[in-house]
Amino acid sequence: MTKSKIVSVDEAVAEIPDGAKVALGGWIFNSQPMALVRALIRKGARDLHLIPAPGSIAPDMLIGAGCVASTVCVFISFEQFGLAPNFRRHAESGALKVYDLDGPGIAGGLRAGICDLPYMPVPDLGTDLPKFAPEHYWPLPSKPGERKMLAVAAVKPDVCLLHAQQADEHGNVQHLGPPFFDAMIAQASRRVIVSVDRIVSTDTIRRSNHLTKLPSAMVDAIVEAPFGAHPTTSPSLYRSDEAHLKEYVKSSAGAEAFSFYLDRYVRNASSSAYLDAIGGSRLAALAVSETNLK
Amino acid sequence: MAAHPSLGETLAVLLARDIADGEKVIIGTNSDIQLAACNLARRLQAPRLWWISGPGGMVNPTRDHLLSTADYENVESAESWMDLPVMIDFIDWKVHFFDFAILSALQVDRFGNINTVVVGDQRKPRVRGPGTVGISALCGLAKRFYVCLTRHDRSAFVPRVDFLCGPGHMEGGDSRERMGLPPGGPRLVLSPLGVFDFAPDSKAMRVKSISPGVSLEQIRDATAFDIVVEGTPPVTTMPTDHELELLRKHVDRRGDLRRKFP
Repeated sequence: MTKSKIVSVDEAVAEIPDGAKVALGGWIFNSQPMALVRALIRKGARDLHLIPAPGSIAPDMLIGAGCVASTVCVFISFEQFGLAPNFRRHAESGALKVYDLDGPGIAGGLRAGICDLPYMPVPDLGTDLPKFAPEHYWPLPSKPGERKMLAVAAVKPDVCLLHAQQADEHGNVQHLGPPFFDAMIAQASRRVIVSVDRIVSTDTIRRSNHLTKLPSAMVDAIVEAPFGAHPTTSPSLYRSDEAHLKEYVKSSAGAEAFSFYLDRYVRNASSSAYLDAIGGSRLAALAVSETNLK
Repeated sequence: MAAHPSLGETLAVLLARDIADGEKVIIGTNSDIQLAACNLARRLQAPRLWWISGPGGMVNPTRDHLLSTADYENVESAESWMDLPVMIDFIDWKVHFFDFAILSALQVDRFGNINTVVVGDQRKPRVRGPGTVGISALCGLAKRFYVCLTRHDRSAFVPRVDFLCGPGHMEGGDSRERMGLPPGGPRLVLSPLGVFDFAPDSKAMRVKSISPGVSLEQIRDATAFDIVVEGTPPVTTMPTDHELELLRKHVDRRGDLRRKFP
């Protein structure tokens, strides 16, 4: 009998040590693993080294809460709401070490990690990236007339935090929308923790098994976290909460203001208290169907 | 007579005019103007334009209004979406797969290199931008690219970008080819003050046309390098009533371009 992999959100992050290399899944305002991120902040994580897929509030909140020593930055943006506020503040003060990587750098690095290779070759596109992240990029020898190549170092997260829509107790994870980088990140990570909006039976998983992007063997822990991606989208279940994202940006103007935000929504709030603070009518309004309404 | 076009509407129309039918284009995030240009071109001369948005990997999302390219609603209304690792391969390894890209930037320099990473020193920047994502490969590998900026001042138009993440003509002349990058690079830079291209030999930015009511003096003052001027550049042809009507009725029904880029 397979043991259930379902754990509480606090149990899921309990064994992530300070200083760990933590990858974050999703894509900008889609499927940011926010319930797990908030639990990590509540736990008081320190000195993390983040490897976020192109993201928004997940890396930004961890950075703002003082949990992060360094971060990879492929893309960290609040899009129509501006630059990522806490990422920006901490990077501009010089306190946060940032390793800028481009798309080929992160994809090649994860592939090397997955294949247990030290690096992957990528074309040298003449950017300043290698100059500021020589740990990640270095030139490969080439003969005259051959294309110039760089090596990108393997990316091997200790643990990754992902959010998907549903899973069973064995850890079969289904994405009801794009999986973005999640499968690749999971494959490259030593430990895989996934929050889902709902737990379903294995029969349900089997009925639409083409949706299973992470098979159970790849997954270590499952957390049931309804609205666990809030305030970002969980594809096909709910939209991003623009009002809350705006409130977050406003609350991130300075360290003190952001501390109030964290106290209200993160430090003193269990997952259910968080949802209560957001409010039932607000959450209900985010549920998507055909969404071309407003 | 349609109401006067806003800056965002004008830029969208100017970009749309430069798109040919059947081309394959990729746009980035935070791309209201770029998205409007693609969907307007599909309404005009390029019904078979194939466009994809970097952030979501979604193909030809068409709505009658603008949505963030990071928005799940665009994913829903697309013809397909692509797994991102596949998408990265698609962008980054198939040399010349895309015909062109439309990008914006924190800074663009004299040779059309762009920067979306930092203003100042990467280790302690004055402005920390969002990062590079696919821009290195889009600028390096697409046959041509456009840079669309909604401001034109000396902090945006700089002699040399503080962090080169999107290679244009590198150091000018044939340095892009010497770097081993395929020919092409930046085709046009669009700003509130005018449209700019690159001189054939030096590959230095030059004035192609000037927005109505703007003087060459103004452009020189707002540009932190010597911009090439040949003869008397013409005034940019503004959007026609027909172009504006299509844009407002079928592409940007909610008037986001007017609101965000007046």
